[in-house]
Amino acid sequence: MLVIIWLSPAASAVRDESEIKAAYLYNFTRFVAWDKSSDEVNSLLVCTLDAPVIRDALVPLIKGQSQGGRPMQLKGGRLSQMASCHVLFIGQSNHRNLPAVLKFAGAHQILTVSDIANFADLGGIIGLIKSGNVIRFEINLKAAQASGLRINSRLLDLSVRVLQ
Amino acid sequence: MKWRVPWRFWRLKTKLLFLTLFTSTLGIALMCAAVITIENQDYKKHLESELHVISSILAEQSTAALLFNDDKQLSSIISSLSRIDMIRQACVYDIDGELRSAMDATNHALCPYINSPIDVGFVRDHYSLLMPVKMDGDTLGYFYLTAHLDDLKEHIATFVIVAVSVALAILVTLVFVALWLQRMVSKPIQSLSRAAARISRNQDYTVRVPILDRDELGLLGESFNEMIGTIEQQNQRILRSKDELEDKVAERTADLRLANRELEAFSHSISHDLRSPLRAIDGFGQALEEDCKDQLDDMGRVYIDRIRTASVRMGGLIDGLLVLAQVSRKPMEVQTLDLSAMLNDIAQELRDIHPDSTTKVSIQSGLRVTGDSRILRVGFQNLLENAWKYSSKEDAPEIRVYASTNSDGTEVAIQDNGVGFDMRHHEKLFVAFNRLHSPMEFVGTGLGLATVYRIVHRHQGSIRAHSAVGQGATFFVTLPATVKANSDL
Repeated sequence: MLVIIWLSPAASAVRDESEIKAAYLYNFTRFVAWDKSSDEVNSLLVCTLDAPVIRDALVPLIKGQSQGGRPMQLKGGRLSQMASCHVLFIGQSNHRNLPAVLKFAGAHQILTVSDIANFADLGGIIGLIKSGNVIRFEINLKAAQASGLRINSRLLDLSVRVLQ
Repeated sequence: MKWRVPWRFWRLKTKLLFLTLFTSTLGIALMCAAVITIENQDYKKHLESELHVISSILAEQSTAALLFNDDKQLSSIISSLSRIDMIRQACVYDIDGELRSAMDATNHALCPYINSPIDVGFVRDHYSLLMPVKMDGDTLGYFYLTAHLDDLKEHIATFVIVAVSVALAILVTLVFVALWLQRMVSKPIQSLSRAAARISRNQDYTVRVPILDRDELGLLGESFNEMIGTIEQQNQRILRSKDELEDKVAERTADLRLANRELEAFSHSISHDLRSPLRAIDGFGQALEEDCKDQLDDMGRVYIDRIRTASVRMGGLIDGLLVLAQVSRKPMEVQTLDLSAMLNDIAQELRDIHPDSTTKVSIQSGLRVTGDSRILRVGFQNLLENAWKYSSKEDAPEIRVYASTNSDGTEVAIQDNGVGFDMRHHEKLFVAFNRLHSPMEFVGTGLGLATVYRIVHRHQGSIRAHSAVGQGATFFVTLPATVKANSDL
């Protein structure tokens, strides 16, 4: 049996950190299930809060993509506008009022992701950490369960640390 | 060279055994080959689907690790495969075809470069597959797996051993069955053929074949026995009638011999008995002629002359009859004799009797025939005398005797240039007292050729004549090379 497989030419340029983080954010949506009824729009909303670089990196990733039959959309703005979001990337500048943001997110069943140090320990769901040149993540399973999110065990396997 | 013996000369039981075993072996071999082939294919299919399932599970498990570039996790996932003995190497590639992880990290050479076409499936002694790692319809990377086929080989080897053992066991059983079968079939046939051979060799019709079973062969044996019984009866009948026939022939022969002997005795005695009154007639005729010549007139003298001539002729007839009786009765002494010398003797006697004759006699020299010399001499004397007599009136009488010899015997020809005879009467030639010429022309008794005929036939020979009026005559006497001396009927 001879199978010929043509692969797209490798375009693996050195991706910068924000691109990797954006890709991670995009990929997290594949391993998380929401009970949230799609009220506002029948789409999967990826939102960023004060993280324009990540947002820019997300644009080409999300464009035209859909997740579980739902088209993906990118949304930015102030926290009060984020109630319908499924995923929320919280920028470093929100370090101060993190409890308020997390409280809001928890109430609206939003998967919170951030590269703020000790984000998971602080009550966030997925915290991105940099170990050497590689970006890894840790998951606060307790917070996820409190928000009513179900995280695929594959993702848990990959996380550096699971808090529960 | 036993194998050089052509098929048709093989013994029946060898043929039966050979055919049975050949067919069975062929059948079993084909069956084994078919089963082994199917088993091989089944096993391969099974192996293939098993490896596909394993690969699918592994590929599914690697999705997250691939997405998050977690090579460590990939290694831990893929290393679980090392517990499956037949898997030689498993490799995970990312979407760009870059090797991300391998089960056996020490042997990266087994992970092919997948950006160019590679061989998958069953290739030589291994099986390999390449499948995409997918999630929600997106291809995230590739999973490659290669397995050795030692298990398959081992499995097939075991299978072959079992199949061959079973086949051998069946064959051994078959040999016994075939031997039993051939004994059942060929034994009655053998006994039948032996019985037939004995019958044809010894003419022993009391032979019967034993009947073992009530099958077709038993019926055949029974029919054979019945047939031999019938033949035996017929044979006895034939033998009986042959005996009867022989008895009858012997009886008739004895009768005939007795009648012949009586006839010969009769002719012998009558010849002797007739001679004395004839001598009296002749004697008194002579006395009358000598003593009473003067008292008789011319007419009376003519009558007496006629009486005397007739008595001389009758004396000749009686002599002829005596000779005929003699050549028929005399026991034969068969030997090879010089015919040329005998004929020359006879010719010389004839010349002595007829000193004035100009007859020229030429006899082929070196003629040899088989027979009784005294009897044959009587025959040839008659023939030569005839030739002499019937050619005597010619200007230059000539007699030629010549012969030709072939495998059947010798044909002697006695040729003269005399008056000859009409071929229309040739069947009368050899009958006693039949004459083709009147006594006025040629004197004779009519017994000469009858005597010759009798002599030639006693020698198991034959005689024929060829002639035309005025053209001379040729007598052909054929005498066989060997003569039986007992022909005395």
